[in-house]
Amino acid sequence: MLQYVVKRVLMMIPTLIAVSVIVFTIIQLPPGNYLESYIAELEAQGETVDQQKVAFLRDYYGLDKPLPEQYLRWAGGMLKGDFGYSFEFNMPVTRVIGDRMLLTMIVSMVTILFTWCVAFPIGIYSATHQYSWGDYGLSLLGFLGIAIPNFMLALVMMYVANVVFGTTIGGLMAPEYIGAPWTWDKIKSVLEHSWIPVIVIGTSGTAGMIRRLRANLLDELQKQYVVTARAKGLPPRKVLRKYPLRMALNFFISDIGSLLPHIISGAEITAVVLSLPTTGPMLLNALKSQDMYLAGSFLMFLALLIVVGVLVSDLALVALDPRIRLSGGVAR
Amino acid sequence: MTMRWRSVALLLALLLLPAGYAIAEEPPSLAADVAANKLPPLAKRLPRTPLVVTVDREDWTTGRYGGELHMLMAKDRDIRMMVVYGYARLVGYDERLQLAPDILQSLDNVGNRVFTLHLRPGHRWSDGQPFTSEDFRYFWEDVANNKELSPFGLPRALLVDNHGPTFEVLDATTVRYTWDEPNPQFLAALAGPSPLFIYRPAHYLRQFHARYVGLAKANARAVAEGSRDWAGLYQKMDEQFRFDNPALPTLEPWINTTPLPTTRFVLVRNPYFHRIDANGRQLPYIDRVIVNITDDKLIPARAGAGNVDLQTRYLRFDNYTFLKQGEQRNHYRVYLWEKAIGSQVALYPNLNVEDRTWQKLMRDVRFRRALSLGVDRHEVNEVVYFGLGKESANTILPRSPLFRPEFRTAWAAFDVKRANALLDAIGLTKRNEDGIRLLPDGRPMNLIVDTSGESTEETDVLELVRGTWHELGIAMFPRPSQREVFRKRVFSGKSMMSVWSGLSNGIPTPDMSPGELAPTTQEQLQWPMWGQYYELNHKGGEAPALPDVQELARLFQQWRTATTTEVRTQAWQRMLEIHADEVYTIGIVTHALQPVVVRNSLRNVPADGVYSWDPGAYFGMYHPDTFWFDAGERR
Repeated sequence: MLQYVVKRVLMMIPTLIAVSVIVFTIIQLPPGNYLESYIAELEAQGETVDQQKVAFLRDYYGLDKPLPEQYLRWAGGMLKGDFGYSFEFNMPVTRVIGDRMLLTMIVSMVTILFTWCVAFPIGIYSATHQYSWGDYGLSLLGFLGIAIPNFMLALVMMYVANVVFGTTIGGLMAPEYIGAPWTWDKIKSVLEHSWIPVIVIGTSGTAGMIRRLRANLLDELQKQYVVTARAKGLPPRKVLRKYPLRMALNFFISDIGSLLPHIISGAEITAVVLSLPTTGPMLLNALKSQDMYLAGSFLMFLALLIVVGVLVSDLALVALDPRIRLSGGVAR
Repeated sequence: MTMRWRSVALLLALLLLPAGYAIAEEPPSLAADVAANKLPPLAKRLPRTPLVVTVDREDWTTGRYGGELHMLMAKDRDIRMMVVYGYARLVGYDERLQLAPDILQSLDNVGNRVFTLHLRPGHRWSDGQPFTSEDFRYFWEDVANNKELSPFGLPRALLVDNHGPTFEVLDATTVRYTWDEPNPQFLAALAGPSPLFIYRPAHYLRQFHARYVGLAKANARAVAEGSRDWAGLYQKMDEQFRFDNPALPTLEPWINTTPLPTTRFVLVRNPYFHRIDANGRQLPYIDRVIVNITDDKLIPARAGAGNVDLQTRYLRFDNYTFLKQGEQRNHYRVYLWEKAIGSQVALYPNLNVEDRTWQKLMRDVRFRRALSLGVDRHEVNEVVYFGLGKESANTILPRSPLFRPEFRTAWAAFDVKRANALLDAIGLTKRNEDGIRLLPDGRPMNLIVDTSGESTEETDVLELVRGTWHELGIAMFPRPSQREVFRKRVFSGKSMMSVWSGLSNGIPTPDMSPGELAPTTQEQLQWPMWGQYYELNHKGGEAPALPDVQELARLFQQWRTATTTEVRTQAWQRMLEIHADEVYTIGIVTHALQPVVVRNSLRNVPADGVYSWDPGAYFGMYHPDTFWFDAGERR
């Protein structure tokens, strides 16, 4: 077991190095660099730029250095915990992301909880009542949830709220709390405001989960051990809870791998539309303006979370499902 | 008449005030602090002679205190726009584009060479510390002439032929800058939207400066705050224009209180602001400005939903109908202001194109005139601009005192016959089977126009131009690319012609620089290499080959060294004439419009304004500090 974990952890190193090279290359692929897109943006608004200042910044940020050197500086810094400097905000990346990270995690966790709370009962219901009116109705709702893009739903909700109720959606807390220190009132305000993004972001996830749970559970429900259990006279609920449901939960655990990065970067576009102060819009802007260290460090963090998440979910599966072995080639 | 009244009002104010003007009530939002002795009373906060703001416009009135002004911006660093809108400058433009002292009490200018700046005694920074000539000395000695902080030397606006001024401190409120040669750019740079800051809040910034705290200590602090060295940290803290350091004292009407990153900036009134209204009340009227950050594409939607009190930025003309729809429901008005650019879309024949045959043609005035005559501006205006634009060559606007109607009409009428005659006269008489003329070397005239590929508007216009140029026997192909690529192609001479907006300052006065009309920088799409030649002081680029362009350069020099406005006016007029006649750029439609969303209850925003970056600073010259909310009308 220990040997396996060590092996997996060692494997992460080349993976992350490869990812960092790819991330850096892709961010550098569009022509120009941060300063040039900065100048371009200013000019698009009719402003002019002090070329001397630009020369100073180019020199200070080292943008005129060859790319491999820029890469080594960035990657080397990350090893030491220095994630580089955001040009856009004129401060270290870690400080830019700080407060937003917390809010993003709150929204994402609540969303995930929401998804689970809604998807679980519905998924089980649809599977056990396959082809009933309830199954069809809920599936229809679920498909609508998948089919309507999140940002669209967000826009529609904003429009309806504005025209019908005269209120505005957007933001994660009452304006007076923005930038204020965390207090109980602020947390309450965040909870009051977060239900809309939670519903908007949660719908598609919910639908997906319902379908997967339903399909997995249906597979299991057909199996002979279920028939046997029923034949033995176990109450139907107990049969369900004790055997097929547990079997059907494997997908749920293997999802953790993709869930972790989702917690910090879920639903960028929706967040942009609802102007949530989360990390999604920040990443998007950083990529657009070629703020390379901010974007790069962010993406690296996501990559790290994926790699760790996959490892955790693999280990959890081993612990939970005795059928899975760590090694041993072809088992059957 | 109006000018006289203004001067009378000013004079009266000046006469009455120092003697002990009626001190008006405290702004209500500050009254509590004053009562609690946290803030000195109004009389102690104002300079001895504050600036009395009276705007001479029909619907302009003095206002009342209070309210929050909501605006939207797309990025955190857009907070700098509040320095643009606030527009507290040493000298600033008024609505008539006349320069007048603002932060300065007065200014003596001898032949554009010797500038003596008189500060207002008793003027204070937003933290209550005195604003004196020490702040100018600090900038001059410890910033501008510090090798680490200014590795590239003095700011360009301070240089005349690479020589800086002599700087003297005469007393606590007087400083003097003396150049050997006239420096007409100096005042314009001080009045710019992104101004030349020749002063710094020295009392605050010293704590980061190696000279004042010692190199080791300054560096240690910088490293602790995540910067490479003290110069890095210093530059970060000393950003009067970026406006992102809430601790940095300012002279603007509103102070930013929110550090980056955020989604909501709160700006509060500067209790030491130096302007008052005619009733002796300290400006600004509006207590707080709230700037929310949202995605730029959502800004028109949110403006239309009534989420703003005042908005122009990120609104475009094609949002106009949508914005109009929401007027009633959401209690705002939409004004259309005229943009100050010379032409909404202009074509730039590249006189430095690599291809010799094309280069010869582009440099032939008959060819450029023919191209200009071959554009049906009326059609473009009707089809693309709903007929709201004005057909015009790329020149200045009627609002400028230098304007003459013939600049607008020269070679700008649609006349295919005349254009064809011109092309025939050049000798381009052979055509291929499609009716396309052949170049002297036998190639068909395929004219490729580079666009930066950012707006569909440009491509729409080009599509129409392409139709009428076909009648001249010229096949035109738009080539959309990406902005960086676009610029590189033009600068290197790969591009034959490019499309961009026209003159950036369409409302100049004789005292503003005509640099755009002469070869001065590589950025000029019609002659990048000639511009570079002057930009690099003859050390790069190419010397202009056309006598008329050489004359433009000479006229620009004449403008720079002129000591009287008459000589400057002459230089301007001659340059505009040459431009109109030589058609270096082909303007199409001008009078471009910018929607401005204004809350119904917000007063003193002009209905008919000019939307101009420099001169004007967008809202700046209209005095946003005098905008006020009428409580009678609910938002």
